[in-house]
This record gives sequence, structure tokens and C-alpha cells, in this order.
Amino acid sequence: MRIWLARSAILIAALGLWEAVARGANPLLYVPPSAALPALGRLLTLQSYPDLLADMALTLREILTAYALALTAGLACGAALGLNRLVGRAYGPLLAALYAVPAVVWYPSLMLFFGLDAASKIAFGFLLGFFPIALAVLAGVRQVNPHVLAVARAFGARPAFVFTRVMVPSMLFTLVGGLRTGLALAVIGVIVGEILGSKAGMGALINHAYGLFRTADYVALVLVTLVLIVGSDALAVLVERRARRWTE
Amino acid sequence: MTAETARARWIQAASGLVLLSVWEGASRAGWVDPLFVPAPSAVAGALREVGGAALSGLGETLAKTAVAYALSVAVGVPLGIAIGSVRALRQVLSPFVTALYGMPKILILPWIVLLLGFGTAPAIVYGTIHGLFPILVLVAGGVRDVDEHLVKVARAYGASTWQLYWKVLLPAIVPTVVAGMRLGVVFCLLGVLVVEMFAGVRGMGHVLGSLANGFRAAELFAATALVSAASIAAVLGLDHLSERLSHWRG
Repeated sequence: MRIWLARSAILIAALGLWEAVARGANPLLYVPPSAALPALGRLLTLQSYPDLLADMALTLREILTAYALALTAGLACGAALGLNRLVGRAYGPLLAALYAVPAVVWYPSLMLFFGLDAASKIAFGFLLGFFPIALAVLAGVRQVNPHVLAVARAFGARPAFVFTRVMVPSMLFTLVGGLRTGLALAVIGVIVGEILGSKAGMGALINHAYGLFRTADYVALVLVTLVLIVGSDALAVLVERRARRWTE
Repeated sequence: MTAETARARWIQAASGLVLLSVWEGASRAGWVDPLFVPAPSAVAGALREVGGAALSGLGETLAKTAVAYALSVAVGVPLGIAIGSVRALRQVLSPFVTALYGMPKILILPWIVLLLGFGTAPAIVYGTIHGLFPILVLVAGGVRDVDEHLVKVARAYGASTWQLYWKVLLPAIVPTVVAGMRLGVVFCLLGVLVVEMFAGVRGMGHVLGSLANGFRAAELFAATALVSAASIAAVLGLDHLSERLSHWRG
């Protein structure tokens, strides 16, 4: 109870401070909460950006496509590297080294290759989401108890059966963590891509508002985008909890 | 084991060569448009051409990254230790830290650029924000997970709070701090590069962005390879350092 009191006090103090500082300052640079709320209202009633829903749908479509691709490729690559010891030892370190490169260095190449439209955002979201998924599968496969595998094989289980019925349940805990991180990074990839250069989508709207010094609208767009991001993560947490309960 | 390592190395080298020759062949045979996918030989040639500009851009980017990194370690490690070791702070602040850590920082980048303009300052500020939270969160977690027995025994033998931090807590969290610093350096570099691409007039991010806008694919690939090599080298260096430190700890 006292903890919640302290937390709300901090939140209220931060908002109050922001309001106090921003009131007297240049409205092109600082947006107090009292100005952000009306801007949010105008945005949600489609007054400031009539195409908001179409842009939001585009961003969501890009995220879903990128994540689906990252999921497929990540699971396949991780399983291939995890199931074959030698292949894992050869390509695992390469994967880890590539993961250590700040992914944004690939973005100009992707933009050159795929153009300014949705494809380059999907490619970048895919690239960001792929690594944590592949590495989680790789780590998960290595966690599986080798005795259990040996027993399953001794009883004549086929490789596909071994993978779906023995390996996946015992590595699910690690796997769902990687899947959640992958989703978060795919979302970030799409949004970073849109902000660095695009013609449509939430990032394009944010850039538009920023470029025209419509700072209150910019804050409102950021809030809406945050809801989108937090919502996707909440969905992932839900799936994660269910999967973990299932393994216990 | 060593034989297997050797075979793994051999596979790595062989697949690298195969990839390069297939790529070169595909490009020469005209299966891919060299405007978008230049041959490795063209990229190597472009490296010589663009190398000077890319290296000076990279130097500038790395200098900004170093400042941002120093700032995020200087702020992140003490804050992490404070939040990790003081229970009241941890309980009250943890949702804020989680929220700030999880929030995509790119959303506030336009505002930072509005405030600080096009130049070095926004890159350093944004790089610091990027690197700060992973370091803070990892260090706080490491402090929280320090073996309670160590703390109890030290207390029982009459250690002062200062001694507790300096003699028990700090040595115990060295691996976590190093892990946080390793993670942090990539995030700082990422932040600086993003700012340079978004609103830079100099630096590697700007070089990459303008090469892409000019459709100079060979030069772009060469410059990308250069940054990637630099960041892999930085991470491997920190890995080496962390191995050294774990030996020192015993």
C-alpha cells in the first residue's frame, strides 16, 4: 500500500514538474500534459490525421508479416543448428557475432534493396526478430536432457516426433522467452524503419508531425504508438504465461 | 574436441568462400542487378575508394559512442547498485525502470533532435539513454542476486556498510557489471548510429544513409562491413576482458 502511494506520488510529481516547466517554455519544443490530452483527443477523433486508422493498420500488417517470417526462419535455423552438433559449432558463433552488430547498420542496405515502402520495414523487423528466436531455440535444444532423447529414440520415435513431443515441451520455457523478445524487437524494427524513412505508417505520421513542428500532435502520436507496442507485448506475456503453466 | 573445433573452423571458412564465390558468380553472370547487389570484388574495390571517408566517419561515430558509453556506465552502474541493494528503492522504482527500459527509445528521438538540433549533442544524449537502461537493469539484478549468506556473514563479523559495499558487493557483481557493459556498448553504438541516420550531418550513420540515398551499393556494402567489423571487434575485446576479470576474481 505504501509502495503504491510512493509510486503514484512519483508519477504525479513527474507530471506536475513537466506541466510546470512546459507551461512557460516554447510550445514548439515542450508539450505540457494539459496540451497533450486535447491533441490526443483530436487525433483519436481523426481530426488531426484523418488517415490514422489506415496508417495504424499498415504498421500492424508490417509487424505481423515481419514476425511471422522471423518466427519461421528463427525456428528452422535454431533447430538446424541445435540438432546437428557440428553445424551448431560452426554456425552458432557466426550467428552470435552477427547479433553483436548494431542491426541498424543493415537498414540503409535494406532500404536501397527493398525501397521506401513496406518491404524494407518488414525486412528490418524480420532481421531484428530473427536473432533472439534462433538463439533461444539453439539454447533450448541444448538444454534438453540427452537421456530423455536417448530413451525416445530407443523406443523408435521418429525425428519429427522427437522434436515436437520431446524437445519442444522441455525447452518451451526458454523458447517462449525468445519468442517474446523476438516480437518486441520485430515491433521496434518496423517502427525504427518507419521513422528513418517511409511514406506511410505510424512512423511516417510521427515524422510528419515532427517535421512541421506540430509537437502536440507528435506527442499524441507517440502515445498511440506506445499503446500499440504495449498491447502487443501484453499479448505475448499472456501466451508466455499459458505456455509456462502448460510445462509445469 | 579439438578435432571437432578444427572441423567447425573448416566449415566456417569453406562456407564463407562458397558464399563469396556464388555471390561473385551470380553478380558477374547477371542473375542479380549489380545496382542493388554488387559483386564482392566490386565491394572490395569500393572499400579502397570510400575507405577514407568511411574511416573518418567511423572515427567520429566511435568517439561519440565512447562519450555516451562512459556516461551510461557512470550513471547506470551506481544507479543499478543503489536500486539493487536498497529494497525500498527497488520496490518503488522497479515499474518505472521496467517501463523506461522497455519503451522503444526511437519514439522520443524526434523530440531530442528538436531540443538539441543536428549535431553531436543529440547523438551523445540518445546513445547514453540507449546504453543506460540495459546496464542499470543488469547491475540491479546482479546486486539483488548476490548470495545473502555473504552479506549476513560480513554483517555478523561487524563489517560497516562501506566495507559491505566495497569488499563484498562490488567483487561479487563484477561479472554482471562486465556483462552489462558488453551489452551497453552495442546499445550505445546503435543509438549513435540511429541519430546520425535520422538527423546527422556527419559520422558513420550519415555516411551509410547518404550512400543508400545515392544508390551507391558497392560503397554502402563496404562501409557497412567496416562498421560491423568494428563493432564485432569491440564486443570480442570486452569478452576477452571479462574472461580476464573472472580469472582475477578466482
